[in-house]
Amino acid sequence: MGSDKLPIDDVLHAGPPATPLVEAVLDLVREKVRMRLRESGMDWDGFVFAGSDSLVTRADIEAVEAAILASGHRFDWSARASVIERPEAHKPDGTSTDDGAGFAHPDAPTAEADGDGKALRGIGDNVVRHTADIVGRALYVRSNERVMELLTNGVPQGTIAIIDDSGGTLTAPIIDQFAGVVCAGGSVRSHLGILTREYNIPCLMNAKVTGIREGDRISVEVSAPAKTTEDYQQGVERIARVWVLEEAA
Amino acid sequence: MTTALNERDLILHAAAIKRHAPLSAIAHLAGLSEEQAQGIVAQAVATGRMVEARGAYALTPLAGVALTARYRRHFGYLREDAAFVAAYEGFERINRTLKQIITDWQTLDVGGAKVANDHSNKAHDEAVIDRLGALHEQAEPILGRLSAGLPRLKYYAEKLLAALEASEDGDHEWVSDIRRDSYHTAWFELHEELLRIMGREREE
Repeated sequence: MGSDKLPIDDVLHAGPPATPLVEAVLDLVREKVRMRLRESGMDWDGFVFAGSDSLVTRADIEAVEAAILASGHRFDWSARASVIERPEAHKPDGTSTDDGAGFAHPDAPTAEADGDGKALRGIGDNVVRHTADIVGRALYVRSNERVMELLTNGVPQGTIAIIDDSGGTLTAPIIDQFAGVVCAGGSVRSHLGILTREYNIPCLMNAKVTGIREGDRISVEVSAPAKTTEDYQQGVERIARVWVLEEAA
Repeated sequence: MTTALNERDLILHAAAIKRHAPLSAIAHLAGLSEEQAQGIVAQAVATGRMVEARGAYALTPLAGVALTARYRRHFGYLREDAAFVAAYEGFERINRTLKQIITDWQTLDVGGAKVANDHSNKAHDEAVIDRLGALHEQAEPILGRLSAGLPRLKYYAEKLLAALEASEDGDHEWVSDIRRDSYHTAWFELHEELLRIMGREREE
């Protein structure tokens, strides 16, 4: 294993790049180069003149773009062809056909609306038993960008967040503003379970839901018994249900 | 090979761990004065690296991506330091116990059903705080080894001890209140710090 030091690491007094995108690209590319340099065991000159073209791979550079897209960033475009060819990488051109259908768990139990107009759309593990079920509007919170927007503008009253980040990494800054949380991962002992208990926010973990759209009015059965550590250990089935009451306009 | 984080990266790193926090909290975690932090944060906001909302600051997504990409440069030596890695793994092991203790702190078994702990059962609360104290005894040598590898991590050892002592003195908000540097808050942030240092992802 060689050194992973790049000559540029010693550049003094160089300010950070002007824009966050340029900084992210440069740092991600340097990270890949650093890794490949180190693996090559070569010194910098040897690496640059003999190896770098083949040692830094197309997949490395594709991973750079993937990391940027994963952060929620979408590239500007000047020709509509860019959006048509790679809609996932560009800002929308206004003709998006995204239906906002959200999570679709294959094992989520569903049913037609019952006599009370409640249509079953899934189940989850109740973190704490509350005295009554909660009703609110479904809001998917899955990207940093959306968290930023909610931080800045506030979370609308009566929002039930539908998320898949059981560590609470993404949603921690705004979690206290939710009326409820439905999380498609983790268990009642996950950090997110701990955070929601602390704020006394009704929460289902390990949720299997399908067909809930952004803006749907939903009800969450947080009056159901809470799932316990012993339940997990003994494989006891103890569920709380999620219903759609009224579909988004 | 060790490289010291520059002040800008210390601030960005602290903001990433704090997620959305006032300047003073970010500066304290970074180990810098508020005056030092002020200029860096202002520059970060002006250039799209941070946003300010309700008097608190958060990293923007791309700034987070760039920062994470620099971690190999900053922390690569710790990822290869066997003693540090062993201490980190020790932390992950007792992290499971910590989560169970906090869960038990927050819930009460009433007629076989887990409900929110209203802290009316003193015996239950004291038993949980005793378990937290026992866990802290296990954590101390781990915290010592982590700080030996990276002295800046003493911050967490001090926060954890202060929160434990306040809890044991009867101020129970210090166990898991999210609006202060409670035991769980400091633990959660240390976990986040260690995951970033090690280049790992949180499991749940």
